[in-house]
Amino acid sequence: MKKRKLNFVTASVYALILLAAGSWLSIFTVENANLSTLFSQSNLMYASKFFNGLFGIGEENPAFFNAESWGNAWALTMETLVMSIMATGFATICALLTVVPAARNVADGSLTLVKKWHGRISFGFIRGGYIFSRAVPELVWAMIIIFIFKPGILPGAIALALHNFGILGKLCAEVIEDLDSRPIRNLASSGAGRVQILLYGVLPAALPRFLTYILYRWEVIMRTTIVVGFVGAGGLGQQFKLSMSFFHYTDITLLLFFYLILVFAADFISEKARYFIK
Amino acid sequence: MERNWMSFELHKRKILSLILGLAFAASLFSVEWNSELIHNGGLTTAKQIGLAFFTPDLSGEILILALESSWTTLSYAAAGMSLALIIAFFFGVAASGVMVSGEKNKRLIKPFFRSQLGFMRAIHELVWAWLFVASIGLSPFAAIFALAIPYGGILGRIFADMLEDVPQEPIRALEAAGASKLQALWYGYLPMVRASITSYAMYRFECAVRSSAIMSFVGIGGLGYQIQLSLDDLHYDEVWTFVFFLIILVILIDAWSNQLRKRLIQ
Amino acid sequence: MAEIINVNRISKNYERKIALSSLSFTVEKGELVALIGPSGAGKTTLLNMLGAIFPPDQGEIVISGKQIAEMTDQKKRAKKIGMIRQQFDLVGELPVIHNVLAGRLSDWGVMKSLVSLLIPQDKDYATAALDRVGLKDKLYERTSKLSGGEQQRVALARLLVQSPEIVLADEPVASLDPARAEDVLELLVNIASEEKQTLIASLHSVEYARKYFDRLIALKNGELFFDLPSSSVSDDHIKRLYSLKEHS
Repeated sequence: MKKRKLNFVTASVYALILLAAGSWLSIFTVENANLSTLFSQSNLMYASKFFNGLFGIGEENPAFFNAESWGNAWALTMETLVMSIMATGFATICALLTVVPAARNVADGSLTLVKKWHGRISFGFIRGGYIFSRAVPELVWAMIIIFIFKPGILPGAIALALHNFGILGKLCAEVIEDLDSRPIRNLASSGAGRVQILLYGVLPAALPRFLTYILYRWEVIMRTTIVVGFVGAGGLGQQFKLSMSFFHYTDITLLLFFYLILVFAADFISEKARYFIK
Repeated sequence: MERNWMSFELHKRKILSLILGLAFAASLFSVEWNSELIHNGGLTTAKQIGLAFFTPDLSGEILILALESSWTTLSYAAAGMSLALIIAFFFGVAASGVMVSGEKNKRLIKPFFRSQLGFMRAIHELVWAWLFVASIGLSPFAAIFALAIPYGGILGRIFADMLEDVPQEPIRALEAAGASKLQALWYGYLPMVRASITSYAMYRFECAVRSSAIMSFVGIGGLGYQIQLSLDDLHYDEVWTFVFFLIILVILIDAWSNQLRKRLIQ
Repeated sequence: MAEIINVNRISKNYERKIALSSLSFTVEKGELVALIGPSGAGKTTLLNMLGAIFPPDQGEIVISGKQIAEMTDQKKRAKKIGMIRQQFDLVGELPVIHNVLAGRLSDWGVMKSLVSLLIPQDKDYATAALDRVGLKDKLYERTSKLSGGEQQRVALARLLVQSPEIVLADEPVASLDPARAEDVLELLVNIASEEKQTLIASLHSVEYARKYFDRLIALKNGELFFDLPSSSVSDDHIKRLYSLKEHS
């Protein structure tokens, strides 16, 4: 047994090294990428022009000295914040509605001592949905959603929620699977019904970790808001793309600045909140 | 007694849940809920996209294209991750402060490297990609660097955390036996964090595949690029074919990393 | 006194191992019975079957003239049978009051249980029960912050609120230090006799079993080894029960 274990691990390590080597090889040969051309004269010029642009060197009226641009960026920041909260909310609601049958110990009846004939089926179905939803990146969801909804923060929130629904669902289902079954079985033997077991046994034990995961996903969602914005799903990202297209590089600096503030603020708030419920 | 029931300690979780719920409810007011939200014919499009899900385009031409793009996506992810690991190793070791002695030096060095790691991962990989494309042009390296930086940042942060959490007794024993800082790193710290950092890196590799797929957005090839092209041509059946390939790729790596994790952590 | 539990030739196998083979006994109302025997003798299996956690492979258990297999309504069964185990039976994240009031859940509907999480209902039950186990001042403490002995008292308070006719206790004091263990056991026995409950408890300690219980049922390798009033259990009985020689 021990030997097989070792073999799998070593084989995996070799396979990973091979994969990395093969990847670099195919990038250099098949795609003909060349490191030296990266630092060619023209590229250097573009790069310096771009970075000078970002810092507003030689710019008559850089955006970060312009009150109107600040106001505009601030409004977009608020919009992005709202989008991230909405996305987290949608994802949480959908995940919580589906999470109970998605836990293995609920599906096979070992947690509540109640076995239902459809346990296995709904377990497989919901878990399949989770995998599907999280395997598709937010941006791809956004690309599809934007065909249905008009640009704005709603399609962005929906796209972010679609991806995070699967992640949150999986994480929360695992929380329920890891729960100590003894108190819950004891509740059942002292006469608690299904909903009562959920209220008194599962929820209090799982809530702190659910909250932790929700806050943690909110941080990630905040980082990703800018990306779904690229395809027209509102917020800082949408403006970022427009400014890129019009070569308004100083706008980009300003937007990136606000984006970083949002990301760091979300990290800070979520960390404080997680500490608060400890 | 009643005063005691109102004690803050008992209700912190409920209060936080309430605050989060209210924030969500408030966010809903920022959207005007009417039919203006949806494109004219948006519902028809939704129906078409939904139907195409069951009839993905499985013609040979598309399948070959999908396979090629899957490899492109995978190879960018693997190359990006290999760079990210190098970044994570050097920055992680520096940010954990295990290589410097003296409290004063540690207090100077750790925050410096930690904030750099924080900056790397604060910016989303696609934003990095855009910055790279704007400065070095459309090249696979733009995608690889764009992946390597934020992933290096997050891996480095986790690596540093793990190094800091290593129990100190074996390390002190090594140092008492005359090991240098470098030897202590090599024979003490690294073996102790190997299993957990490997399983975390595998999990990140799965994320990197997904990120690599969306690099297409700035014009770099791969599955995401094909998805976008098919969407632009309104070929929803092709879209789903490429999406399914992406899902399979992610599931395969997920399964692999689960197997590896199971065997490493026990 | 009336017969309340009738165990008739029950057997239970796990995989190929025999947990209980053809065990029969009866218990009368109000009796205090201790189950003793080496670990693996089948004590926990027996208690779980009495508590309807799982059914026996063969044989039948009759409680108050009714087949246990037919007592499918969990809420009614909870009025009949209550269980207490080692200290891991409580939901640690909830305040003590909710863990005690969980004994009322069989009487409450869903709405009342939901409201109670926000504003505790039937609070008098909880106060009275906690007063009885000597933890009146811990009503609003988070349960996980209590010591092991205190947690076990909370579990007793829950049983008081639930007030079943039969109390099944599976190693109720196994994880406590000796001083606490005796306190909790004494409390358990006193409550059972004051409430006129029937108590069946499995115990590691023969000393406690003889001191606090009327009747000792000893199991060994899934079979009845002896079933005697505690006054007539001799040291020799005990020695043979725990000796390894007869094991093979």
